[in-house]
Amino acid sequence: MGIVHAKEPFGNSSGIAQSPKDNENKHDESPTGNFPTLLNNKSRIQKEEENAQAKRIVLQAVKARVDKIHVDGLMRTKDDIIKPQVMDLFKATNFEDVIVRASKVREKLDALGCFRQIGIYVDTSQGPEATPDGVEVTFKVSEMKRLVGGISTMVGNNEGSLIIGARAPNLFGRAERVQMEYSYGNKSSINFNVSAIKPFPQSLYNAVLSGTVFCTTHDFPWSGFKQNDKGLLFDMEFNQTGTSKHNVQYEAAFRNITCSKQAAFHVREQCGPNLKSALRYIWTIDKRDSTIFPVSGSLLRLTTEMAGLGGDIGFLKNELIMQSNWSPFEFLTFQLGLQSGLLSTISNDMKISIADNFFLGGPLNLRGFDMRGCGPRYNGNSVGGDMYWAAAFHVYTPLPFRPGRNSFGDLFRLHGFINGGNLSNFTFTHDLYSENMKIFTENIRCAVGGGIAMKLGNVARIELNLIAPLLFTRSDVLQRFQFGIGVQYL
Amino acid sequence: MPHVLLSDSIAVELEAQEPWPQPITLYQPYEVEQILLPDNANCLAVQAFLKMCQLNFQIEPRKNAEFMSPSGRVPFIKCGTKLISEFDGIVTHIASKGVSLSDHLDSAAKVDMRAYLSLVNNVFVNAELYICWVDTAILNAVTKTRHGSVYPWPLNHYLNWQKRREVIKKLNVLGWYNKSLDEVYDDVRKCCIALSERLADEEFFFGKDKPNELDALVFGHIFTIITTPLTPNNKLAMIVRNHPKLVNLCKRIENSLFSPQAIDSQTNETLEFKN
Repeated sequence: MGIVHAKEPFGNSSGIAQSPKDNENKHDESPTGNFPTLLNNKSRIQKEEENAQAKRIVLQAVKARVDKIHVDGLMRTKDDIIKPQVMDLFKATNFEDVIVRASKVREKLDALGCFRQIGIYVDTSQGPEATPDGVEVTFKVSEMKRLVGGISTMVGNNEGSLIIGARAPNLFGRAERVQMEYSYGNKSSINFNVSAIKPFPQSLYNAVLSGTVFCTTHDFPWSGFKQNDKGLLFDMEFNQTGTSKHNVQYEAAFRNITCSKQAAFHVREQCGPNLKSALRYIWTIDKRDSTIFPVSGSLLRLTTEMAGLGGDIGFLKNELIMQSNWSPFEFLTFQLGLQSGLLSTISNDMKISIADNFFLGGPLNLRGFDMRGCGPRYNGNSVGGDMYWAAAFHVYTPLPFRPGRNSFGDLFRLHGFINGGNLSNFTFTHDLYSENMKIFTENIRCAVGGGIAMKLGNVARIELNLIAPLLFTRSDVLQRFQFGIGVQYL
Repeated sequence: MPHVLLSDSIAVELEAQEPWPQPITLYQPYEVEQILLPDNANCLAVQAFLKMCQLNFQIEPRKNAEFMSPSGRVPFIKCGTKLISEFDGIVTHIASKGVSLSDHLDSAAKVDMRAYLSLVNNVFVNAELYICWVDTAILNAVTKTRHGSVYPWPLNHYLNWQKRREVIKKLNVLGWYNKSLDEVYDDVRKCCIALSERLADEEFFFGKDKPNELDALVFGHIFTIITTPLTPNNKLAMIVRNHPKLVNLCKRIENSLFSPQAIDSQTNETLEFKN
């Protein structure tokens, strides 16, 4: 966390984008201000005077020109990747601009993933080349170690496992990194993941190239099978702007499906190895202010996957995820989430595995239904479908009476929701349109409920809900009380 | 894990209640392009056994039959909702339904039959696995292309490698991997001699009139060995053909059970070749 230091005092009223640290400072100060203090009157008056003086200074009016930028603490990081990151700062014209741009530069440097700490220092410029309004900005950075690693344990998915992770950041001084994770479960399932990442920060689209070799095992007791994937994934990410992101991926995976002893014969028929070779394109526009508890902004993600470039699996899969947030008051947020997908065959020679199907239901998906609890089933095993839609409308409020405000209490939200959806198979009849539009009219699942949601480390979310299913079919597996943890949610 | 045992016993309970006979479906790999010598022998043995029991069944070829099977080996049959795999399991299951070919035998003969069954399973199956997966000439010429034929590149190479590793591991445990090819042929020869002696001049192994599971199993192996074209030289078939009693048994069973049109031409060809 860097701190912005300036020689001249400035107020908070001018509407600059503050770094989180500044916010914290502000909050730290406020209790002492309201506290019935033992401060004598003199110092209080002095303080008020200072505040009054500070308020009069409008930062936008203070002219500033960045004369020099120092980056302190570079050891093995090459200059050529740092330079383009900080050049933007020279365009600043006033002092507010300097601060805003400096914090943006810090974000960019942080995104390189080379530094443990980044501090910003702003000083008036001195020396023979100094201009009258000139300032010098210094970024004090400390680089990460050559090898970072850890060992941890994890319990979940009916299995306990040991995880060994290691990371070699900034391998050749240009933000390249190699990371690996290896986990060994007590049911002798081995998962590993080795990826090499190379960003090109100088390039026009801020491209990031990465290659991953993976081996994962997933158990789906709801569907009666286990899936083992071994494969390669190449990803090209283009970050044109801060909010819009394009990913082009190629995945080649050898997938082995083994069914459980009691699995339905329909699932058993899918057993055995197959090879998927697929191209995927993901376009993400994320204008939300936070991924887990957004207050405003929306998200749009379009995924198109085409499998069948070699291998024996062939399909075209389109998926759309939307989320929109609106907060009329500080303590009230409305959220609308929408997901839908369509899976279609491309050739009669290539099959679609059960692993590629869509599934619906779960504590963070269609709440009120068990994991994969909706849609086509055979003998109690969920087999998934070709197309689905799901929508959820949430109302969030902070905890009543705001305990732990601005700290621990902000990790929690109360929410009430109504969600619904449907999953079915695409039918080919003479009346294609009306037959397949029945997914929006027939057998719709719907549930209302409420509960508490918690943010976990800004990446995952935990929910504890009480739900009353409203519309369901006989084969669905319902749950009135659900606990869920996950990264993606509806 | 208690619940597995529980579910097993429930399955047994349920099975007892199920009506019989049920439609039987036999799942096996594709005969023309995929199946290998050991699997083909087992599938044929099961087919012969079911025909001897006069049970109707349908053959359903699947490329992933091996992976669908509950035990990981082909063939397996589906009776109603129940799945039973491999020759021994199928024989036991059918017997539990009251259809048995060896009920009339006294206990000494039954023990004898079991001994011969395990002799065939030990010698022929392992020899076939050895020929297919260890002998490099046949591995490269026949096994790899056939086993990998139903999978796309490069999955076929990986699966061939994986399967070969599995088979070698199994043969290693059984002490077959370290044998030379000649030792394997020798074992087969000895087994054939033992079977020929047992058969003597009888119609079938146990009794004149009625074949039983041993006849089915021997038929499956002998027939497959003599009819499967293995390049470059099919020494295994030569060895088996030197035992005319066994070959004639095969011929008898084939004529009585299988429609001659389907495989007769093939058999005649090979038997003529022998003569």
